[in-house]
Amino acid sequence: MEQTRRDFLKTTAAGAGAAGLIGLPSTTRAQGSKLTVWWNKGYYPEEDAAMQKIVKEFEAKHKAEVELSFTAQEDLLKKITAALIARRVPDVAFCFYNDWQVVPKYAWDDRLADVSDVIEELRPRYDDKMLVVAHVMNNKMKKRAYYGVPIEAQTMHIHYWRDLLKEAGLEDAPDKIPMKWDDYWNYWKKAQDALRKKDAAKYGKLFGIGMTESTRASDTLYNFDMALLSFNGEILDKDGKIIADQPRNRDAIVKTLKWFGELFTSGYVPPDATNWTDGDNNAGFHSHTLVMTPNPSQSIPAAQFFNKDDPQKNNYFNNMATIEWPDGPDGKKARYLTAVKTIIVPKDSRNQKLAKDFIKFVVEKDRFAEYIKAANGRWFPAFKDVASDPFWRTGHKGPKGEKDNHVPVATTIFLERDNRVFEHYKHPALSQVYDENVWGKAMARIVVDKWPADKAADEGIERIKAIFAQHK
Amino acid sequence: MKLTTREGGLEASPRVVIAPPRARPRRLFRSRTAIGFVFTAPLLFLFAAFVVYPMAIGLYYASDPDSYRAIFSDPVFRTTAANTFWYVVVAVNVKLVLAVLLSGVLDYPYWSIRVLAALFLIPWAVPALPGILSFRWMLNSQWGIFNHLLTKFGFASVPWLAQHDTALGAVMVFHIWKYLPFWTIIFLAGRRAIPGELYEAAAIDGGSAVQNFFHVTFPLLRNLYLICTLLSMVFTLGDFTVPWLMTGGAPGDSTHVLATLAYRYTFTMGRLEWGLATFTVALPITLLFIGLLMRWVKI
Repeated sequence: MEQTRRDFLKTTAAGAGAAGLIGLPSTTRAQGSKLTVWWNKGYYPEEDAAMQKIVKEFEAKHKAEVELSFTAQEDLLKKITAALIARRVPDVAFCFYNDWQVVPKYAWDDRLADVSDVIEELRPRYDDKMLVVAHVMNNKMKKRAYYGVPIEAQTMHIHYWRDLLKEAGLEDAPDKIPMKWDDYWNYWKKAQDALRKKDAAKYGKLFGIGMTESTRASDTLYNFDMALLSFNGEILDKDGKIIADQPRNRDAIVKTLKWFGELFTSGYVPPDATNWTDGDNNAGFHSHTLVMTPNPSQSIPAAQFFNKDDPQKNNYFNNMATIEWPDGPDGKKARYLTAVKTIIVPKDSRNQKLAKDFIKFVVEKDRFAEYIKAANGRWFPAFKDVASDPFWRTGHKGPKGEKDNHVPVATTIFLERDNRVFEHYKHPALSQVYDENVWGKAMARIVVDKWPADKAADEGIERIKAIFAQHK
Repeated sequence: MKLTTREGGLEASPRVVIAPPRARPRRLFRSRTAIGFVFTAPLLFLFAAFVVYPMAIGLYYASDPDSYRAIFSDPVFRTTAANTFWYVVVAVNVKLVLAVLLSGVLDYPYWSIRVLAALFLIPWAVPALPGILSFRWMLNSQWGIFNHLLTKFGFASVPWLAQHDTALGAVMVFHIWKYLPFWTIIFLAGRRAIPGELYEAAAIDGGSAVQNFFHVTFPLLRNLYLICTLLSMVFTLGDFTVPWLMTGGAPGDSTHVLATLAYRYTFTMGRLEWGLATFTVALPITLLFIGLLMRWVKI
């Protein structure tokens, strides 16, 4: 039968409509028994391989399909944020930023699944200090519960080049570095002076201290909070109320900011430190233009461990070392802050049971030990049984039997020092304080805008109060 | 038989007389409109899905007055508004003035100028990311080429990206470097459209090069210049890539522009409504530019 123009148009329109409907982009919304897992891309291929192995084992055991994708941390945070806002979510998400940028605020908004049942099951295995990070407030339900499963942690360390100290004519062994506050920081200044004096052409642009003081870097807030602890300052009380404006704490904040300002303007910190991202102090250290740098993970030694240009791992075992944060100005041993990395299950996930089964499967002792050791000590396990593995006390062994100067230091900090988690679990507004990098801004006020430390401190405190006031 | 009309003209053969239209104009119109809709449906669907719907959702999210209270109370927002103003005013004007002048240079009919024009287009043709990263390295205070040269000649090194004025200046300079070739080519095309007779007449009257520019070239480029200014303002107001990759808002969140601040609110802080409110603040200005532009080009 001959087709009229009208018939043709009808057919075309109907066909186009059907094609449009069928061809609608598939969403990431978790459906059926297929588990969608978004995982932070590891720093090393071994980490990703270990997770892929876990997924295969889980699929075989649970007869379920797992769609695993790896994304770099900065992009994954945006992906998770967008997914939670749009309510088109994965079933499981693990991002290195979950602990402070996702868990407090999205639990508050009732976008995360309560995983207290998982935590209760795992509780005997947990290091209690780390568990609290996921016990956060749900403002809709008006209750506190566990909205994340902590798995691994990072804390503050100082890395330095032993070969540079040797060349400067200074003691380079970790136990010879002075640990008193002023002596400690002056030691690196002395190294810079000595090296520049020795060879101005070679070391003219070397700096003693790689202290990140930028609003672009999360290292900044870690550096600030560590120094604030050294000066005995607190921002919140145990109930999450602001006490930063109390005279004792304000005084500590002013002293801390003044210390950062003077450190920067003294000429021993690279001028670009106010513009650094989290990777810039690492880059400066690896290129031997910094004698030391504080870094809140073991990423620097771990990168040297995998340095292909150094097959004997001479840098890792002989040329560099990791030491602790110095004793406070009052002479007391350093207190540490720990960031505990956390897995979440979005509330809109349709496979919550399977998601929780998956998490429990991942953190089983041997399986998780294999996964976390693939990161070469970059993270420390949140589980006591995994942390009891001798690896954490001895670390790697060098090709000539050298001792590991990095992993055991982190273990000492985690297990033997006064150590507590960041306090954003107390109130989601603190998470925003960190997001805004309020103290990084205050540092810039001092070093860029030339404000006095007390004025910068007061602006920071007022900003914190304003942020808390927005969370009703 | 000769067919004539009443006016005496030739009458058409009855076989070729076009029958008067059937008295169903509305139905015909409806039918033709429907066909038109069917043919434009894909475009309309895409327009609705990717322009109307996102804008409507955006305005819906941005309609919460608390968001405006929050962003206006943020000291970073105030600095950002000022930065955006200076970024648009300085970068657009410097870029377009230079583009008009450089288009005069590229208008010379020499082969060397053609080679120069091809080289001149490279910044515009290369992707922004490698360009910005290279520029950042050049500005690095420790090992950047600029400071290397400064110190070689006895000057103090400058922390280019670590202080507000030089960091924002670096963003503007890169923006100008990157987009200058594009606007120069536009003005070059405009110059080439000016009739040569006008210059010949000016030459007969003894007009100098400067007089030619002010009395012949620029008056005839005026409309193009204004349109380019408005277009460039719209583009620059929404520029995210250059400020974000160059400074990321540092030092101390002092070099944000509205586009980067909205991104920071939305993706760093998870405050979608603040991010959209930030864009909405700039919306009246953008719409004003677009309105002026449409009026100018009589769309």
